[in-house]
Amino acid sequence: MSDHVDGPRSIGDPPADVTDLFAFTSPEDPRRTVLAMCVFPSAGETAVFSNAIEHAIAVRRVRVAGVGNAAKFQPAEEELRFSFVFQVLERDAAGKVLQRGTCALPDGRKIALVMNDERGAATPEGDVRVFAGLRSDPFYLAWIAATLTRVPNLLQHDNVLSLVVEFDTERMLNPTAGSLFGAIAETVPFGPPGRVSHPAARIDWVGKPEQTNIRLSNPGLTGADDLRDLWNQQNPFAIAGTLKPLFLQRLKDSFAEWDMRDGKADWTPEALAANANVFLDDFLLFDVAKPITDTSHLEIEKSTISGAPYLTGGGRTIDANVIDILLTWLINRDREFLLGGATGATKPGMKVFPYLATPNTQLQVVSESVELAASPDAVWDVIGRFNLDWHPLVAHVSLIGAGIGQLRRITTRDGGQIVERLEEIDDAKRHHRYAMVAGMPATHYAGTVDVQPKGSGSVAAWSVAYLADDQPDVIVHGRIAALLKTGMANLKNRFGAVT
Amino acid sequence: MSRLATDGEIAALNLDSACRQAWARFGRAPRPQGLAETIVDMERLKLQFFGDTAALDRLETLARVDGSPLVQAAAASAAHRFDEARRHLARAPHEAAKHQLLSIDQACGTDLDAVLTARRRLAGAGGRLEDLVPLGAVLADLERFAEAATVYREAHNAYSGTSPFPLAWVCFQLGQLWGELMPEPDLDQAAQWYRSAVAYLPFFPKARVHLAEIYLGQGQASEAEALLLPVLSSRDPEVRWRLGDVLLAQGRLEEAKAQLEVARLGFEELLERHLLAFADHAAEFYAGSGNDPRRALALARTNAANRPTRRAMGQAHALEAAA
Repeated sequence: MSDHVDGPRSIGDPPADVTDLFAFTSPEDPRRTVLAMCVFPSAGETAVFSNAIEHAIAVRRVRVAGVGNAAKFQPAEEELRFSFVFQVLERDAAGKVLQRGTCALPDGRKIALVMNDERGAATPEGDVRVFAGLRSDPFYLAWIAATLTRVPNLLQHDNVLSLVVEFDTERMLNPTAGSLFGAIAETVPFGPPGRVSHPAARIDWVGKPEQTNIRLSNPGLTGADDLRDLWNQQNPFAIAGTLKPLFLQRLKDSFAEWDMRDGKADWTPEALAANANVFLDDFLLFDVAKPITDTSHLEIEKSTISGAPYLTGGGRTIDANVIDILLTWLINRDREFLLGGATGATKPGMKVFPYLATPNTQLQVVSESVELAASPDAVWDVIGRFNLDWHPLVAHVSLIGAGIGQLRRITTRDGGQIVERLEEIDDAKRHHRYAMVAGMPATHYAGTVDVQPKGSGSVAAWSVAYLADDQPDVIVHGRIAALLKTGMANLKNRFGAVT
Repeated sequence: MSRLATDGEIAALNLDSACRQAWARFGRAPRPQGLAETIVDMERLKLQFFGDTAALDRLETLARVDGSPLVQAAAASAAHRFDEARRHLARAPHEAAKHQLLSIDQACGTDLDAVLTARRRLAGAGGRLEDLVPLGAVLADLERFAEAATVYREAHNAYSGTSPFPLAWVCFQLGQLWGELMPEPDLDQAAQWYRSAVAYLPFFPKARVHLAEIYLGQGQASEAEALLLPVLSSRDPEVRWRLGDVLLAQGRLEEAKAQLEVARLGFEELLERHLLAFADHAAEFYAGSGNDPRRALALARTNAANRPTRRAMGQAHALEAAA
């Protein structure tokens, strides 16, 4: 995964785990640039930032220092740093958890923000605005890397914590002095008190996507040491000279293995070494004077290695298909585009600030249906009754009230109690809808029962949507599935199934 | 003594958040490789640091659905069903199984000298907290207490991450070492380490229970009570048991009786589902405030048969002698 869960040190404090970095032109205003980083892979709905970690995006001006097999991108010493820090949790008047933070800008200004405030926060001048909070994971991976098998998006429905900073490009980056930049995102623990001269080792950092999980830790290199933690502890823009040969050799070995995944050698040894050299300098290249699009990711590197001037702003947009772009480049050097098993993340990016899509809720659905050799009305006469007296897992039901709002208190054969409320009933359409009030470890629990004609018989369908609460989904799912399956099997016995 | 780490409330919230999300992903296809192992790690953290005993039930479900020998073994080990865990591991490649086998040997007190050698090798290779703490624990099992204390401190100093879980873990181990294992306990030192553990993770019932025991022994019943009240929602019956003891010491007999009854029910419910996991603690309960020496002896024997460590054997012998 892009950089998701990329080393043992970052596991255990998931907000320290940097998953992705983005750099693109603001869809709202082409004069502005957006930098965004994501942390906390598979964050749940209650995820918050650590108060012991600095989350930062660092940008340096870069020049093209070589082309073709001598391709090289040289970063400047001066660094622009956007640094987010967060406080311990507070509670608002309603008892809701609240987390405040601050983004420090390269010029020393600070912006106070509140996590998950959709509007973000801005400088008084309005030239910079920032956001921090839970969003739908914009990354998608639809390959099993070890076997190069296409699968649906492995991160479907996932969320991440994200940090977004958008600024006036002219004012912040002064592109007249050079419009090509390199960016990295990192998490750094606050140093112990009184040890200011010894900054704590960073936990994780990301430049281009997949330096760790695909390039350095190629699953095709069996028995190779895991270098990811060692890599994560390097200084971005300044990999330790003593370790460069180790990382470079790993990249060469890895790229050679990727090249042969399709059985064809598309890379000469010289070009492959040049490619490894370029990826060893791991920062996300973007040029603010050229167009950054969903397909321009890595174009700067690829053109330069191929000896041609680059034409786009490279970078990485929210919707860029970075895995397929990377795998295509490594495996067949852009001979034929390799499309994975998905064409997008769970949700596409938004065209408005903060650009990353709203978080996913994990509404799950269990459905059962059965074709029956009986008229719809005959079936509805049985399952349309809200008292569930036809269901074999139900030991007893007591009804409270009548019509819409009626409650049923169900005692199941295993002694459990469930209370449900009738929300809607339409006998003409043979449809009713109900909600669970108590008794199941779930929220947003809503069930529907429908009977429709089919041929000379009918189809009965029962569906429940819910969010697991206090119990893992697999357990709640199992309980609901058992209820529905047993009910449908009983109907089959009673009315006979259509064969 | 304390190091900067993510606030305990934030870490707890994020563990819960990540665990729920991992379970949601586990229910979907395709299932990412290693997801079941990640869930095992998170559920064990919830059991260890929050007294969430339902984690054992969830691990059972996970093992049943996942079906891999390593996950089945991890679930069995978490519930102290070590023989079953060994059977599962026999079906796994040795390289993948060896770490779990080492932990089982250590938990059962099997060939501790060989365990020590292996733990030294692991700790020497990485110098990481997660390797040093088990080394300290085996040294303590071998009653080499001074060395254990040194290794635990080294583990605390070696940690370079921000998660409070490993730090709370090593502090708890040091508290137990000074408070319970040393031939001449140093309760002030033990209390200091337990307080550090609680500072890292405020909702850490085991650390609060042990600290409350020290306070109670020093005649500070109110402090002990204040320590236990915030973790009453924990499913760990030891909280109610120790609160019962505290109330007894304060002469609040009816309240004590009620708390001890809740503790007894809690233990019985857990023993019904996970006998081996709770036999040792329940034996201690029934030998003390639970006031059922026969039940205590039966449970201590069950525990000693399952994991014949020096401690388990000592507990069983002491109860036999008292019977």
